[in-house]
Amino acid sequence: MAVLTADKKVLHADLEGDSLRAASGSMVAYTGKVEFKSAGMGGGGGLRAAIRQRVAGESISLMTCSGAGRVYLAQNAMDVTVVQLQNDRLTVESEHILAVTDGLQLDVQFAGLRGMTSGQGLATTTVTGTGQCAILSEGPLIALAVNPGEPLVVDPDVYVAGTGQTQMSLVSGVSWRSLVGEDGGEPFSLRFEGQGIVYIQPAER
Amino acid sequence: MPFEKVNSKVVRVPVTAQSPVLARRGAMLGYTGQVAFRPIHGQGQGVGGMIGTAMAGESNPMMATEGTGSVLYGFRGLHVTVIELTGDSLTVEADRLLAHDANLQTSVEFIGQGGIRSAVRGAMTGQGLFTTRISGQGSVALLSHGGTFPLQLTGETVGVDPQAYVGHTGALNVDLKASVGLRDIVGRGSGEAFQLHVSGHGTVYVQASEEKF
Repeated sequence: MAVLTADKKVLHADLEGDSLRAASGSMVAYTGKVEFKSAGMGGGGGLRAAIRQRVAGESISLMTCSGAGRVYLAQNAMDVTVVQLQNDRLTVESEHILAVTDGLQLDVQFAGLRGMTSGQGLATTTVTGTGQCAILSEGPLIALAVNPGEPLVVDPDVYVAGTGQTQMSLVSGVSWRSLVGEDGGEPFSLRFEGQGIVYIQPAER
Repeated sequence: MPFEKVNSKVVRVPVTAQSPVLARRGAMLGYTGQVAFRPIHGQGQGVGGMIGTAMAGESNPMMATEGTGSVLYGFRGLHVTVIELTGDSLTVEADRLLAHDANLQTSVEFIGQGGIRSAVRGAMTGQGLFTTRISGQGSVALLSHGGTFPLQLTGETVGVDPQAYVGHTGALNVDLKASVGLRDIVGRGSGEAFQLHVSGHGTVYVQASEEKF
Protein backbone atom coordinates (compact mmCIF):
# COMPACT_ATOMS: atom_id res chain seq x y z
CA MET A 1 0.00 0.00 0.00
CA ALA A 2 1.20 3.50 -0.80
CA VAL A 3 2.90 5.25 2.12
CA LEU A 4 2.39 8.97 2.69
CA THR A 5 4.86 11.07 4.69
CA ALA A 6 4.49 14.80 5.19
CA ASP A 7 7.57 17.02 5.03
CA LYS A 8 6.26 20.45 6.03
CA LYS A 9 4.82 21.72 2.75
CA VAL A 10 5.56 18.67 0.60
CA LEU A 11 3.96 15.23 0.72
CA HIS A 12 6.12 12.23 -0.16
CA ALA A 13 4.05 9.40 -1.56
CA ASP A 14 5.92 6.11 -2.03
CA LEU A 15 4.24 3.82 -4.52
CA GLU A 16 5.07 0.16 -5.00
CA GLY A 17 3.09 -0.78 -8.04
CA ASP A 18 -0.15 0.47 -6.50
CA SER A 19 -2.07 3.70 -6.80
CA LEU A 20 -3.41 6.64 -4.87
CA ARG A 21 -5.67 9.58 -5.60
CA ALA A 22 -4.39 13.15 -5.32
CA ALA A 23 -5.69 16.63 -6.11
CA SER A 24 -5.36 17.34 -9.85
CA GLY A 25 -2.23 19.23 -10.76
CA SER A 26 -0.62 18.87 -7.33
CA MET A 27 2.41 16.86 -8.52
CA VAL A 28 5.60 18.92 -8.28
CA ALA A 29 8.10 16.13 -9.00
CA TYR A 30 8.41 12.36 -9.15
CA THR A 31 11.01 9.64 -9.48
CA GLY A 32 10.49 6.20 -10.94
CA LYS A 33 7.72 5.28 -13.31
CA VAL A 34 4.42 6.87 -12.39
CA GLU A 35 1.37 7.57 -14.54
CA PHE A 36 -1.09 10.38 -13.90
CA LYS A 37 -4.70 10.03 -14.96
CA SER A 38 -7.84 11.91 -14.14
CA ALA A 39 -9.82 9.97 -11.56
CA GLY A 40 -12.98 10.85 -13.40
CA MET A 41 -16.23 12.26 -12.20
CA GLY A 42 -16.85 12.05 -8.49
CA GLY A 43 -13.15 11.68 -7.78
CA GLY A 44 -13.38 7.93 -8.20
CA GLY A 45 -16.22 7.73 -5.73
CA GLY A 46 -18.58 6.17 -8.20
CA LEU A 47 -21.70 7.36 -9.93
CA ARG A 48 -23.58 8.28 -6.79
CA ALA A 49 -20.77 10.53 -5.61
CA ALA A 50 -20.60 12.09 -9.04
CA ILE A 51 -24.29 12.91 -9.08
CA ARG A 52 -24.24 14.27 -5.57
CA GLN A 53 -21.23 16.34 -6.43
CA ARG A 54 -23.05 17.87 -9.34
CA VAL A 55 -26.10 18.66 -7.22
CA ALA A 56 -24.01 20.15 -4.44
CA GLY A 57 -21.73 22.11 -6.71
CA GLU A 58 -18.81 20.59 -4.93
CA SER A 59 -15.67 20.85 -6.97
CA ILE A 60 -13.23 18.15 -6.07
CA SER A 61 -11.00 17.15 -8.90
CA LEU A 62 -8.73 14.19 -8.33
CA MET A 63 -6.18 12.30 -10.35
CA THR A 64 -4.96 8.75 -9.97
CA CYS A 65 -1.22 8.27 -9.60
CA SER A 66 -0.17 4.70 -10.27
CA GLY A 67 3.15 2.93 -10.71
CA ALA A 68 6.32 2.52 -8.70
CA GLY A 69 8.39 5.37 -7.34
CA ARG A 70 8.09 8.44 -5.19
CA VAL A 71 5.72 11.29 -6.00
CA TYR A 72 6.19 14.74 -4.45
CA LEU A 73 2.86 16.49 -4.02
CA ALA A 74 2.33 20.09 -2.94
CA GLN A 75 -0.17 22.83 -3.50
CA ASN A 76 0.26 26.56 -3.18
CA ALA A 77 2.93 26.24 -0.48
CA MET A 78 0.31 25.07 2.01
CA ASP A 79 1.25 22.90 5.00
CA VAL A 80 0.60 19.17 4.71
CA THR A 81 -0.57 16.83 7.49
CA VAL A 82 -1.12 13.08 7.17
CA VAL A 83 -4.04 11.63 9.10
CA GLN A 84 -4.22 7.87 9.75
CA LEU A 85 -7.66 6.33 9.54
CA GLN A 86 -8.45 2.94 11.12
CA ASN A 87 -11.92 2.04 9.93
CA ASP A 88 -12.75 5.61 10.73
CA ARG A 89 -14.49 8.58 9.25
CA LEU A 90 -12.97 11.97 8.49
CA THR A 91 -14.97 14.98 7.35
CA VAL A 92 -12.85 17.39 5.30
CA GLU A 93 -13.48 20.58 3.40
CA SER A 94 -12.99 19.39 -0.17
CA GLU A 95 -10.39 21.92 -1.23
CA HIS A 96 -8.21 20.78 1.67
CA ILE A 97 -7.75 17.21 0.41
CA LEU A 98 -4.31 16.63 -1.08
CA ALA A 99 -4.18 12.84 -1.36
CA VAL A 100 -5.91 9.65 -0.19
CA THR A 101 -4.57 6.10 -0.34
CA ASP A 102 -6.47 3.15 -1.74
CA GLY A 103 -8.86 1.66 0.75
CA LEU A 104 -10.45 4.99 1.55
CA GLN A 105 -13.77 5.98 0.05
CA LEU A 106 -14.70 9.55 -0.72
CA ASP A 107 -18.27 10.73 -0.54
CA VAL A 108 -20.03 14.04 -0.61
CA GLN A 109 -22.17 15.12 2.30
CA PHE A 110 -24.47 18.06 2.52
CA ALA A 111 -23.32 20.62 5.00
CA GLY A 112 -26.53 22.59 5.06
CA LEU A 113 -26.67 26.07 6.43
CA ARG A 114 -23.03 26.06 7.51
CA GLY A 115 -21.79 25.91 3.95
CA MET A 116 -23.86 28.90 3.00
CA THR A 117 -22.59 31.09 5.79
CA SER A 118 -18.97 30.26 5.23
CA GLY A 119 -19.31 30.55 1.49
CA GLN A 120 -17.89 27.12 0.81
CA GLY A 121 -20.73 25.57 -1.06
CA LEU A 122 -23.32 23.23 0.28
CA ALA A 123 -21.24 20.13 0.76
CA THR A 124 -18.18 18.67 2.43
CA THR A 125 -16.35 15.46 1.68
CA THR A 126 -16.28 12.47 3.97
CA VAL A 127 -13.40 10.02 3.85
CA THR A 128 -14.13 6.57 5.29
CA GLY A 129 -12.18 3.34 5.63
CA THR A 130 -8.63 2.40 6.56
CA GLY A 131 -5.63 4.22 5.14
CA GLN A 132 -3.94 7.59 5.03
CA CYS A 133 -5.36 10.95 4.07
CA ALA A 134 -3.18 14.02 3.49
CA ILE A 135 -4.83 17.34 4.20
CA LEU A 136 -3.74 20.86 3.35
CA SER A 137 -3.86 23.87 5.64
CA GLU A 138 -2.80 27.48 5.41
CA GLY A 139 -0.22 27.38 8.22
CA PRO A 140 0.33 24.39 10.51
CA LEU A 141 -2.76 22.33 11.28
CA ILE A 142 -4.03 22.46 14.87
CA ALA A 143 -5.87 19.48 16.40
CA LEU A 144 -8.42 20.31 19.10
CA ALA A 145 -10.14 17.66 21.22
CA VAL A 146 -13.87 17.59 21.76
CA ASN A 147 -15.04 15.71 24.86
CA PRO A 148 -18.54 15.09 26.24
CA GLY A 149 -19.55 18.07 28.32
CA GLU A 150 -16.79 20.19 26.77
CA PRO A 151 -18.14 21.59 23.55
CA LEU A 152 -15.75 23.35 21.18
CA VAL A 153 -16.60 26.48 19.22
CA VAL A 154 -14.56 27.45 16.13
CA ASP A 155 -14.76 30.03 13.36
CA PRO A 156 -16.29 28.51 10.18
CA ASP A 157 -13.48 30.07 8.14
CA VAL A 158 -10.72 28.16 9.95
CA TYR A 159 -12.44 24.75 10.13
CA VAL A 160 -10.58 22.18 8.01
CA ALA A 161 -11.57 18.68 9.14
CA GLY A 162 -12.98 16.58 11.94
CA THR A 163 -13.10 12.95 13.10
CA GLY A 164 -15.06 11.00 15.68
CA GLN A 165 -18.61 11.19 16.87
CA THR A 166 -19.35 14.88 16.93
CA GLN A 167 -22.47 16.89 16.21
CA MET A 168 -21.93 20.17 14.48
CA SER A 169 -24.25 23.11 14.93
CA LEU A 170 -24.14 26.68 13.78
CA VAL A 171 -24.14 29.36 16.46
CA SER A 172 -25.32 32.76 15.40
CA GLY A 173 -24.19 35.83 17.20
CA VAL A 174 -26.27 38.16 15.08
CA SER A 175 -28.05 40.78 17.17
CA TRP A 176 -29.18 44.37 16.79
CA ARG A 177 -25.52 45.37 17.09
CA SER A 178 -24.69 43.55 13.82
CA LEU A 179 -27.47 45.42 12.09
CA VAL A 180 -25.99 48.77 13.02
CA GLY A 181 -22.49 47.58 12.13
CA GLU A 182 -21.19 47.45 15.68
CA ASP A 183 -20.54 43.70 15.92
CA GLY A 184 -17.34 41.97 16.88
CA GLY A 185 -16.77 40.59 13.40
CA GLU A 186 -17.73 37.03 14.37
CA PRO A 187 -21.37 36.68 13.34
CA PHE A 188 -21.31 32.87 13.02
CA SER A 189 -19.43 30.11 14.79
CA LEU A 190 -19.40 26.34 14.59
CA ARG A 191 -20.13 24.41 17.77
CA PHE A 192 -18.99 20.80 18.16
CA GLU A 193 -20.39 18.44 20.80
CA GLY A 194 -19.60 14.81 21.49
CA GLN A 195 -16.29 12.98 21.27
CA GLY A 196 -13.69 13.53 18.61
CA ILE A 197 -11.01 15.75 17.13
CA VAL A 198 -11.49 18.95 15.15
CA TYR A 199 -8.68 20.26 12.92
CA ILE A 200 -8.37 24.00 12.30
CA GLN A 201 -5.87 26.17 10.47
CA PRO A 202 -4.34 29.42 11.79
CA ALA A 203 -5.70 31.48 8.89
CA GLU A 204 -9.20 32.54 7.91
CA ARG A 205 -10.23 31.83 4.37
CA MET B 1 31.70 35.53 1.10
CA PRO B 2 29.15 33.16 2.62
CA PHE B 3 25.52 34.19 2.71
CA GLU B 4 23.91 33.73 6.11
CA LYS B 5 20.19 33.05 6.47
CA VAL B 6 18.54 35.18 9.16
CA ASN B 7 15.30 33.23 8.84
CA SER B 8 13.63 31.34 6.02
CA LYS B 9 12.90 34.54 4.10
CA VAL B 10 15.77 36.92 4.82
CA VAL B 11 19.47 36.52 4.00
CA ARG B 12 22.40 38.50 5.44
CA VAL B 13 25.26 39.14 3.03
CA PRO B 14 28.66 40.50 4.01
CA VAL B 15 30.04 42.99 1.47
CA THR B 16 33.70 43.97 1.18
CA ALA B 17 35.66 46.04 -1.32
CA GLN B 18 36.93 42.83 -2.94
CA SER B 19 33.57 41.10 -3.04
CA PRO B 20 30.65 43.24 -4.15
CA VAL B 21 27.23 41.64 -4.46
CA LEU B 22 24.62 41.77 -7.20
CA ALA B 23 21.03 41.77 -6.00
CA ARG B 24 17.53 42.19 -7.31
CA ARG B 25 16.72 45.88 -7.42
CA GLY B 26 14.66 46.97 -4.42
CA ALA B 27 15.35 43.82 -2.40
CA MET B 28 17.49 45.55 0.23
CA LEU B 29 15.83 45.48 3.63
CA GLY B 30 18.55 47.07 5.73
CA TYR B 31 22.30 47.40 6.03
CA THR B 32 25.14 48.29 8.35
CA GLY B 33 28.44 49.92 7.39
CA GLN B 34 29.37 51.98 4.36
CA VAL B 35 27.39 50.50 1.50
CA ALA B 36 26.28 52.02 -1.79
CA PHE B 37 23.72 50.70 -4.27
CA ARG B 38 24.15 51.26 -7.98
CA PRO B 39 21.69 50.12 -10.65
CA ILE B 40 23.20 48.00 -13.38
CA HIS B 41 21.93 46.87 -16.72
CA GLY B 42 22.57 43.83 -18.80
CA GLN B 43 23.88 41.94 -15.78
CA GLY B 44 27.31 43.48 -16.19
CA GLN B 45 28.25 41.92 -19.48
CA GLY B 46 28.59 45.02 -21.61
CA VAL B 47 26.62 45.76 -24.70
CA GLY B 48 26.40 42.15 -25.83
CA GLY B 49 24.93 41.12 -22.53
CA MET B 50 22.45 43.95 -22.66
CA ILE B 51 21.20 42.99 -26.06
CA GLY B 52 21.06 39.39 -24.97
CA THR B 53 18.94 40.12 -21.93
CA ALA B 54 16.68 42.50 -23.80
CA MET B 55 16.05 39.88 -26.45
CA ALA B 56 15.56 37.18 -23.91
CA GLY B 57 13.04 39.04 -21.85
CA GLU B 58 15.17 37.88 -18.95
CA SER B 59 15.61 41.50 -18.01
CA ASN B 60 15.46 41.40 -14.31
CA PRO B 61 16.52 44.75 -12.88
CA MET B 62 19.60 44.18 -10.75
CA MET B 63 21.72 46.44 -8.62
CA ALA B 64 25.29 46.25 -7.44
CA THR B 65 26.01 46.57 -3.74
CA GLU B 66 29.46 47.98 -3.07
CA GLY B 67 31.39 49.10 -0.03
CA THR B 68 32.04 47.50 3.34
CA GLY B 69 29.33 46.23 5.62
CA SER B 70 26.54 43.70 5.76
CA VAL B 71 23.22 43.88 3.93
CA LEU B 72 19.88 42.18 4.53
CA TYR B 73 17.96 41.05 1.46
CA GLY B 74 14.41 39.76 1.13
CA PHE B 75 11.64 40.02 -1.41
CA ARG B 76 7.84 39.91 -1.03
CA GLY B 77 7.95 37.41 1.82
CA LEU B 78 9.16 34.68 -0.53
CA HIS B 79 11.34 31.86 0.76
CA VAL B 80 15.07 32.09 0.18
CA THR B 81 17.36 29.19 -0.71
CA VAL B 82 21.13 29.70 -0.55
CA ILE B 83 23.20 27.59 -2.93
CA GLU B 84 27.01 27.47 -2.70
CA LEU B 85 28.75 27.10 -6.02
CA THR B 86 32.24 25.60 -6.04
CA GLY B 87 33.24 25.83 -9.64
CA ASP B 88 30.05 24.26 -10.96
CA SER B 89 27.17 26.07 -12.59
CA LEU B 90 23.56 26.77 -11.67
CA THR B 91 20.81 27.19 -14.23
CA VAL B 92 17.90 29.27 -13.03
CA GLU B 93 15.36 31.75 -14.25
CA ALA B 94 16.47 35.35 -13.78
CA ASP B 95 13.37 36.43 -11.88
CA ARG B 96 14.14 33.89 -9.18
CA LEU B 97 17.51 35.46 -8.39
CA LEU B 98 17.59 37.42 -5.16
CA ALA B 99 21.34 38.02 -4.80
CA HIS B 100 24.65 36.51 -5.79
CA ASP B 101 28.36 37.23 -5.50
CA ALA B 102 29.43 39.66 -8.20
CA ASN B 103 32.47 37.47 -8.81
CA LEU B 104 30.24 34.81 -10.31
CA GLN B 105 29.83 34.75 -14.07
CA THR B 106 26.31 35.01 -15.38
CA SER B 107 25.21 34.38 -18.90
CA VAL B 108 21.88 34.22 -20.61
CA GLU B 109 21.36 30.92 -22.30
CA PHE B 110 19.06 30.17 -25.18
CA ILE B 111 17.41 26.92 -24.26
CA GLY B 112 16.33 26.45 -27.85
CA GLN B 113 19.87 25.19 -28.39
CA GLY B 114 18.59 21.81 -27.40
CA GLY B 115 16.59 21.71 -30.58
CA ILE B 116 13.02 22.49 -31.42
CA ARG B 117 11.70 20.51 -28.47
CA SER B 118 13.47 22.70 -25.95
CA ALA B 119 12.18 25.76 -27.69
CA VAL B 120 8.68 24.35 -27.50
CA ARG B 121 9.23 23.70 -23.81
CA GLY B 122 9.88 27.37 -23.13
CA ALA B 123 6.91 28.49 -25.13
CA MET B 124 4.49 25.96 -23.67
CA THR B 125 5.40 26.33 -20.03
CA GLY B 126 5.60 30.10 -20.09
CA GLN B 127 9.18 29.95 -18.94
CA GLY B 128 10.50 31.89 -21.87
CA LEU B 129 13.14 30.63 -24.23
CA PHE B 130 16.07 31.77 -22.14
CA THR B 131 17.45 30.92 -18.74
CA THR B 132 20.32 32.35 -16.76
CA ARG B 133 23.42 30.30 -16.10
CA ILE B 134 25.61 31.22 -13.13
CA SER B 135 29.03 29.70 -12.69
CA GLY B 136 32.17 30.14 -10.61
CA GLN B 137 32.80 30.14 -6.89
CA GLY B 138 30.43 31.88 -4.51
CA SER B 139 26.92 32.00 -3.12
CA VAL B 140 23.58 32.47 -4.82
CA ALA B 141 20.29 33.27 -3.07
CA LEU B 142 17.18 32.08 -4.91
CA LEU B 143 13.53 32.98 -4.37
CA SER B 144 10.76 30.42 -4.21
CA HIS B 145 7.16 30.18 -3.09
CA GLY B 146 7.04 27.90 -0.07
CA GLY B 147 10.69 26.92 -0.02
CA THR B 148 12.63 24.52 -2.20
CA PHE B 149 13.66 20.94 -1.74
CA PRO B 150 16.63 19.42 -3.57
CA LEU B 151 16.37 16.19 -5.52
CA GLN B 152 19.75 14.47 -5.99
CA LEU B 153 20.14 12.68 -9.28
CA THR B 154 22.68 9.98 -9.96
CA GLY B 155 21.84 8.87 -13.43
CA GLU B 156 18.11 8.35 -13.03
CA THR B 157 15.27 10.46 -14.44
CA VAL B 158 12.82 12.53 -12.44
CA GLY B 159 9.70 14.23 -13.65
CA VAL B 160 9.11 17.79 -12.47
CA ASP B 161 6.11 20.05 -12.90
CA PRO B 162 7.29 23.00 -15.06
CA GLN B 163 5.66 25.48 -12.69
CA ALA B 164 7.38 23.97 -9.65
CA TYR B 165 10.84 23.78 -11.25
CA VAL B 166 13.22 26.36 -9.72
CA GLY B 167 16.66 25.54 -11.08
CA HIS B 168 19.37 22.91 -11.27
CA THR B 169 23.10 22.38 -10.80
CA GLY B 170 25.35 19.82 -12.38
CA ALA B 171 25.34 18.05 -15.70
CA LEU B 172 21.64 17.62 -16.21
CA ASN B 173 19.55 17.29 -19.28
CA VAL B 174 16.13 18.93 -19.11
CA ASP B 175 13.53 17.86 -21.59
CA LEU B 176 9.84 18.65 -21.91
CA LYS B 177 7.51 15.73 -22.19
CA ALA B 178 3.97 16.30 -23.24
CA SER B 179 1.44 13.59 -22.73
CA VAL B 180 -1.56 15.42 -24.01
CA GLY B 181 -4.31 12.96 -24.64
CA LEU B 182 -7.92 13.17 -25.57
CA ARG B 183 -8.79 13.62 -21.90
CA ASP B 184 -6.86 16.88 -21.69
CA ILE B 185 -8.54 18.29 -24.77
CA VAL B 186 -11.99 17.69 -23.34
CA GLY B 187 -10.91 19.14 -19.99
CA ARG B 188 -10.79 15.89 -18.06
CA GLY B 189 -7.03 15.64 -17.75
CA SER B 190 -5.05 15.03 -14.61
CA GLY B 191 -3.50 18.49 -14.76
CA GLU B 192 -0.07 16.96 -15.35
CA ALA B 193 0.00 17.01 -19.14
CA PHE B 194 3.35 18.77 -19.31
CA GLN B 195 6.31 17.49 -17.36
CA LEU B 196 9.99 18.28 -17.37
CA HIS B 197 12.07 15.14 -17.51
CA VAL B 198 15.40 15.77 -15.84
CA SER B 199 18.16 13.20 -16.17
CA GLY B 200 21.88 12.96 -15.49
CA HIS B 201 24.03 13.74 -12.47
CA GLY B 202 23.26 16.79 -10.37
CA THR B 203 20.64 18.42 -8.19
CA VAL B 204 17.23 19.79 -9.15
CA TYR B 205 15.54 22.36 -6.93
CA VAL B 206 11.76 22.12 -6.75
CA GLN B 207 9.38 24.43 -4.90
CA ALA B 208 6.31 23.35 -2.94
CA SER B 209 3.95 25.35 -5.06
CA GLU B 210 2.91 25.82 -8.66
CA GLU B 211 3.11 29.57 -8.48
CA LYS B 212 5.35 31.49 -10.87
CA PHE B 213 6.46 35.05 -10.43
